Amino acid sequence: MRAGCDGAGFALLRYLNMGRMTPQATVSVLGLEAGLENIFRGFTPEDYKAFRPPSRMKCRSLPDEVGHWVRQAASDLREQVEFFGSIAGNLPAALLDRKRMRWAETRRVIELAGANAVPIISLISVLVGMIIAFEAIQPLSQFGAQIYVANMIGLLMVRELGPLLAAVILAGRSGSAFAAEIGTMKVNEELDALETLGLDPIRFLVVQRITAGILLTPLLTFYATLMGVIGGVLVTLSLGYPLTLISHQLTSSVHLRDVALGAAKGVVFGAIVSGVGCLRGLQTEQGPSSVGISTTRAVVTSILLIVIADATFSVIYFYMTQ
Amino acid sequence: MSDTTKTIISVRNLKIGYGDNILLQNLNFQVQCGEVFMVLGGSGSGKSTLLKNMIGLCPPKAGEIWIEGSNLVTADEDQRLLLFRKFGVMYQSGALFGSMTLLENVRLPLDELTALPEPLKELIALAKLKLVGLGDAARKMPAELSGGMQKRAAIARAMALDPRILFLDEPSAGLDPVTAAGLDLLIKDLADHFGITFVIVTHDLPSIYSIADRVIMLDNRTRTIIAEGKPAELRDSTTDPWMRRFFNREPEPSHSAQLN
Repeated sequence: MRAGCDGAGFALLRYLNMGRMTPQATVSVLGLEAGLENIFRGFTPEDYKAFRPPSRMKCRSLPDEVGHWVRQAASDLREQVEFFGSIAGNLPAALLDRKRMRWAETRRVIELAGANAVPIISLISVLVGMIIAFEAIQPLSQFGAQIYVANMIGLLMVRELGPLLAAVILAGRSGSAFAAEIGTMKVNEELDALETLGLDPIRFLVVQRITAGILLTPLLTFYATLMGVIGGVLVTLSLGYPLTLISHQLTSSVHLRDVALGAAKGVVFGAIVSGVGCLRGLQTEQGPSSVGISTTRAVVTSILLIVIADATFSVIYFYMTQ
Repeated sequence: MSDTTKTIISVRNLKIGYGDNILLQNLNFQVQCGEVFMVLGGSGSGKSTLLKNMIGLCPPKAGEIWIEGSNLVTADEDQRLLLFRKFGVMYQSGALFGSMTLLENVRLPLDELTALPEPLKELIALAKLKLVGLGDAARKMPAELSGGMQKRAAIARAMALDPRILFLDEPSAGLDPVTAAGLDLLIKDLADHFGITFVIVTHDLPSIYSIADRVIMLDNRTRTIIAEGKPAELRDSTTDPWMRRFFNREPEPSHSAQLN
């Protein structure tokens, strides 16, 4: 009889051979066709052992793991600082070079990342303004101070939530898009092509996006602030307070320096989001999955840096106004 | 040196690799002006990495790469930009800019690096596309093209600034035999009529035999060049078993022994 066997059959025979199913059992393979016999001999238990080393020392110890993580975080931080340094060095010259600046591309990015984000920013900001007003009414009414909801909404929106909402939405919508766009170009060798054409990817792709980010984020910040205040005012109006009183409360609590702080935050957050998006895109390695990783890292790093920058702003502002 | 008039690229004692991993070393070869020069080797032999080093995208571990009398390895930023003007590169995937039409792709280097008047730039770009047989597709986006057309367009873009050298990374990979033969013909024409020097990384036997003037063979085991010469002569004269298998398209003995 002609004995036949397929790939899984070979694996099973080897498994039996190694005594895995019945210890001490011996298995002889007889009568295999010469060609199959050779393939069978080509797959030995040694192959399997080499594939799966018996020691399980691959798991790193905790200090090792922590050290590895810290080292990685430190080198990542260094890359970010280097990147922002080189951008800061390049930006003024690039802005002045009218021919190489590609303002059309900058306008396109401003439209995609800014104008097209207006509906989602409106919705989220109005809702956040309303939610905060609602949540604050209860505790404030215990002291008969409901009308101060307007003051709170004004300050909170102008100084904190407006910039933060605009920046987080920008990070999710556009920082990720920058990373994916540039990352895909990297995977497709388009960045290599740029470089050998004598075009610096930073001058060609990154400068436009960062310029757009710096220009549009303060505008989005103002817009988010306005929408948030409108949301809060709607709730206050529904409690029966007249608009004139509410606007008096708002104008008496929010000063120009608060608006300036919001705008300054917008500029810094815009630079962070667009810069980190581009950096993560440039750091993309090979293969489609790395584009996904870059996109995730762009959003996570942006939000982390935004919060750190926001905290820094708060501390500086606190000491400046003391 | 007496032969510098004809030598356009000279690689000396080059050692390349990633991190601590040395891929190739003791690389010494010269490319003559106007010839179609091919870099051959098995998969994983470091062909593409060698190309990346020769076009300045990857710094070598040691050695020198002289292109038209300037050393790419030690060149500063300005010299590098000048060197980049001397050669064009066609990447394996074509690497056309997906957001631009073919004409814009070819025009880009002209727009960015020259001060020619607008209509002339357009005319030059169109002429290059016509040269590679894509005159009708100038307004198309890269995604609308077949693989062969994308590679032709990539050659047109690489030629935008009329470089004297073109580097091609596996031009026939993923193409059917007819399209690949068409690309070979194009390369041969460009070399013959425009005197462009081609450095091509490939392992496509038909195009090696039909258009290569000279080849070097890279070897995985010795990690260096094991042969240099005309492909047909190497095929007929080689005593190295691996090279014989390469030129005759035979499998490794370890694999065939399993079956015999």
